[in-house]
Amino acid sequence: MSIELRMAWRNVWRNPRRTWLTVAAIAFACLVLVFMLSFQLGSYASMIDSSVKIEAGHLQVQAEGYQDDREMRQVVRDPAAVERALSGIPEIEAFTRRASAFAVVSSEDRTYGALVIGVDPVHEPEVSSLESLVREGSFLSSTGSSSGTGGDGALVGELLARNLQVGLGDELTVIGQGRDGSVAATVLVVRGIFSSGIDDFDRSAVHMPLATFQEVFAMGDAVHEVVAVGRDLWDVPEIVRRLRGALAGISQTPPLVVLDWNELMPGLLQSIQVDLVSGLIFYVALILVVAFSILNTFLMAFLERTRELGVMMAIGTTPGRLGRLLLLESLFLTGVGIAVGIALGCAVTLYFQVHGIDVSGANELLARFGISGRMYPRLSVLSALVGPLLVLVVTGAAALYPALKIRRLRPVEALTHV
Amino acid sequence: MSDMSEALARFGVYLRIAWRNLWRNRRRTAVILTAIVLGVWSMILLGALMRGLAEEMVENGIRTLTGHVQIHAERYRSDPVAAHPIRDPEAVTATIREVLGPGARWVSRVRVPVVVDTARKTGGATLVGIDVEREPELSFIGPDAIVDGRFLEPGEAGAVVVGRALLDEMETELGHKLVLLAQDAHDASVSRAFRIVGVYRAELEATEKQYLFVSKEAADGWLALDGAVSEIAVELADHRQAEGAARKLRAALVADGVGGEDGQPFQVASWRELLPVQRAVLDIFEGFVQLWYVVVFIAMGFGVVNTILMAIFERVRELGLLRALGMRPGAIVVEVLMEAVMMLLIGAAAGNLLGWASVAALAVHGIDLSAMAAGMELAGLSRVVYPVVTRSDLLLANGVVLILGVVVSLYPAVKASRFTPVEAMRQG
Amino acid sequence: METTNRSAVTTAAIALAALGLAFGVGIGPPARADDAPEAGVLVRAAFEHYRGDASVGTADMTIHRPGWERTMAMRVWTEGDADSLVRITAPAKDEGNGTLKKGTDMWLFNPKVNRVIKLPPSMMSQSWMGSDFSNNDLAKTDSLVNDYVHEIHATESRDGHTVYQVRSTPKPEAPVVWGSLELEIRDDHVLLAERFFDEDGALVKELTTSEIGELGGRVLPATLRMQKAESPGEWTELHYQKLSFPDSLPERVFTLTNLRTPED
Repeated sequence: MSIELRMAWRNVWRNPRRTWLTVAAIAFACLVLVFMLSFQLGSYASMIDSSVKIEAGHLQVQAEGYQDDREMRQVVRDPAAVERALSGIPEIEAFTRRASAFAVVSSEDRTYGALVIGVDPVHEPEVSSLESLVREGSFLSSTGSSSGTGGDGALVGELLARNLQVGLGDELTVIGQGRDGSVAATVLVVRGIFSSGIDDFDRSAVHMPLATFQEVFAMGDAVHEVVAVGRDLWDVPEIVRRLRGALAGISQTPPLVVLDWNELMPGLLQSIQVDLVSGLIFYVALILVVAFSILNTFLMAFLERTRELGVMMAIGTTPGRLGRLLLLESLFLTGVGIAVGIALGCAVTLYFQVHGIDVSGANELLARFGISGRMYPRLSVLSALVGPLLVLVVTGAAALYPALKIRRLRPVEALTHV
Repeated sequence: MSDMSEALARFGVYLRIAWRNLWRNRRRTAVILTAIVLGVWSMILLGALMRGLAEEMVENGIRTLTGHVQIHAERYRSDPVAAHPIRDPEAVTATIREVLGPGARWVSRVRVPVVVDTARKTGGATLVGIDVEREPELSFIGPDAIVDGRFLEPGEAGAVVVGRALLDEMETELGHKLVLLAQDAHDASVSRAFRIVGVYRAELEATEKQYLFVSKEAADGWLALDGAVSEIAVELADHRQAEGAARKLRAALVADGVGGEDGQPFQVASWRELLPVQRAVLDIFEGFVQLWYVVVFIAMGFGVVNTILMAIFERVRELGLLRALGMRPGAIVVEVLMEAVMMLLIGAAAGNLLGWASVAALAVHGIDLSAMAAGMELAGLSRVVYPVVTRSDLLLANGVVLILGVVVSLYPAVKASRFTPVEAMRQG
Repeated sequence: METTNRSAVTTAAIALAALGLAFGVGIGPPARADDAPEAGVLVRAAFEHYRGDASVGTADMTIHRPGWERTMAMRVWTEGDADSLVRITAPAKDEGNGTLKKGTDMWLFNPKVNRVIKLPPSMMSQSWMGSDFSNNDLAKTDSLVNDYVHEIHATESRDGHTVYQVRSTPKPEAPVVWGSLELEIRDDHVLLAERFFDEDGALVKELTTSEIGELGGRVLPATLRMQKAESPGEWTELHYQKLSFPDSLPERVFTLTNLRTPED
């Protein structure tokens, strides 16, 4: 057996230039696949993360029915208890509370209907990217003031600010209906203007400090959403499972439910699936081109040694052993190519994983998905091996062809072959 | 003169030699040709699908009431209400005809936000008063888009056509009425009931939820516009002409003194300005297509070099002999390059053919992606993809293959020219 | 596009009358029976019986939802078909809040922030003070005058009175969302019920009156209940304690200044 190995290895290097060119072709394909797959997978993770971090979070705890009905009285009565349950799950990185109501928002000249959202100024930046979306002015600061004497700040969406014709320092009057049905009213001063790139959000949202919201809208201690993010997107299903168990102990009407990002933002997952599938088509095409590109190497290895192979058969080597020999040569060749390809692919991917790729030219498009500036490929066992594995399978099939042809070789013909 | 004919004769000889050399090892040539054919085919087809996706997105955006160029009163852009119309549309359309010729295609519309009420639901949408006969030529809306009921009649009053998704959201049906509330041209609040005579489907659900269509005359009467319109949209032969056309129109309007009553010139915008997302998609995809061409070429380039190398190493004796007989090295380089060029040409030709055939086949029905509808909707893509090939794409693909192909073939060609008679004898 | 559910946001023209606001009347085709009054005349008479040229009243409104109930006390002034002022007097949290309607415009005042806000058209379908009334109905009341065609379609005897069943159909382009209305009017002009149907003929909400007695010198129901047909646990009830009908009210009553600072 070891003779065969040594022979195979030496045969591979008999023509170094040809071998290197073939190895280069295989390595190139592997490099492209490793990098592209890492880029795709990395972009999905950052796409999902960025999209959900604008508002939805990785998961939310709400009262049942709130997601569809959005009624004031569908509250989480004891958010502290929910947060205690969240603290007990180590994969959770941060959480915060929110409450919201549809209200009439007036500036000096205009009045619009808007969604008023009470957020916790301290914990909200840990969970969502809202603070980083502020374009003018500043994020909210928590105030103890609850008398509504114009001290509380508001963070207004860019399109809404334009519709209301307000800028920093202008006053907004908010009038709506509290949880108990009473009139809820307050005056806010525009402290910041944000832009998420999502028109619907920028056109309808006004953020204010949660404590003031709860007081103005007669919420008591209740909130509508407890929003959480985990350390890693892939941990979410496990977190949800554990959280459901932990929440079983808290009873209220309506009952609490846990919603993950996929339920909060349908369509996001599917748009990723579309991208993945379309990428696959390109990869397959590339591999096929490379396979035919290198097929000649395997063919030549067989065809130009016909006489030599004939000699070997004449001295007693079985066609089976010859076939194995050829196969081994092909495998060595392919193996080197793939090894080099994976190594280079990982190196290039890791470089960009650290430094990122500048995509700021496509900002409007990416803003829909919450990404801006730089994208980072993400090397994983999956992305490093799947592509090269496909290459191995296809080139292995190409290598099989000459190995099979050997069986039909007749020694006399071979010996006299020119 | 005889130099020329001599050179031509020599050229003819090399050609014949190259051709015969190519087919000396049929199987080997066939294999590398397959690689080239597959390469060129995938360049063209997959590039066409990518471009098709991007172009589809752009076309959809344009056909969703955007047009290639839009003209508005200055104030309308920031406050799109009936109180900010183009009061004298004839002056504008006269300028359009002047700049773009008498065959210019354009359409005027009324477009204002409205509140929609039914017995159970209330919501916001956009009312579009259209020229019932001309709008279908420029936009997606028209008798073909109707899935239930009928389209509008010219000048019809009291009738509205709504999107399927809006109908479902408002929990109402064909034949029922919608009560619409808006601000008229004098900023007074007006409301009226309209009967749903037709239901339409659009590429995106968001479109269906957003737009309600009535005849321009109905909108004019209801909103007291007295002939004024909200916008004029111009259609061009190709979306690539939009920027240039917009610039010319803007200048012409100013030169003709056609402007808003507040003295402000009209806003003339191309689709690239109005649809930044679509513009970005198109630009990105252009980059991707070019990248794809290069990647495929490199993948087959290794094979091409390898194959030619194999070919010349088989002929060391012969090449050395030629040198001994006095053939210049340059001539050998030319001869080997010709073999390479022929191979590339044949492969490219076949690849182009296959590319055209597959593009033509797919262009009939496209690739249906409705299974992924929600995801496509989020990305703003339509559910069916058609391949699109442009002249520049074809030029680039073939250019990359042929020019770069010759460049990489220089290495084995030069090598071939360096075989000395001594080496040739050694190979024997 | 955002939609809100009107089931939380509905009202009856008569409920508005109960608040002292106009409701619409159309002069319809002649009634079927020879000695029955003309439908349009009947409806207008009922309306004028309730409304008068001007009215001043004190009432409380109870809003009931599954799980909670809230009562507000208020004072109401109306004049003609189009003008009205409502001010909330209790509970303390809501005291001082008010709405003023003049013609088709409507304003809201909140004493806590001390601001008057003009309601934009997009807010007109929203609920009035959280009740089952919408702002819209206040603004559209006088347009209802021209918007319906009335017809008496049955007559019956009840408790010694003749009760007329009137069917009202909206005119083709009239900006009302209903498919049809049904009114029950007694021979002494008291409105007993009003039902609102969608275009498929399904009942969406219903106004019923009760406690018919003497108010301001007229025979009127003191209690009106607005009930959504599809959510039995949700209703609003209005109960009048006092109601009087002067010939007219001073102009300064229906002004923004008065909305802000009452000078009762």
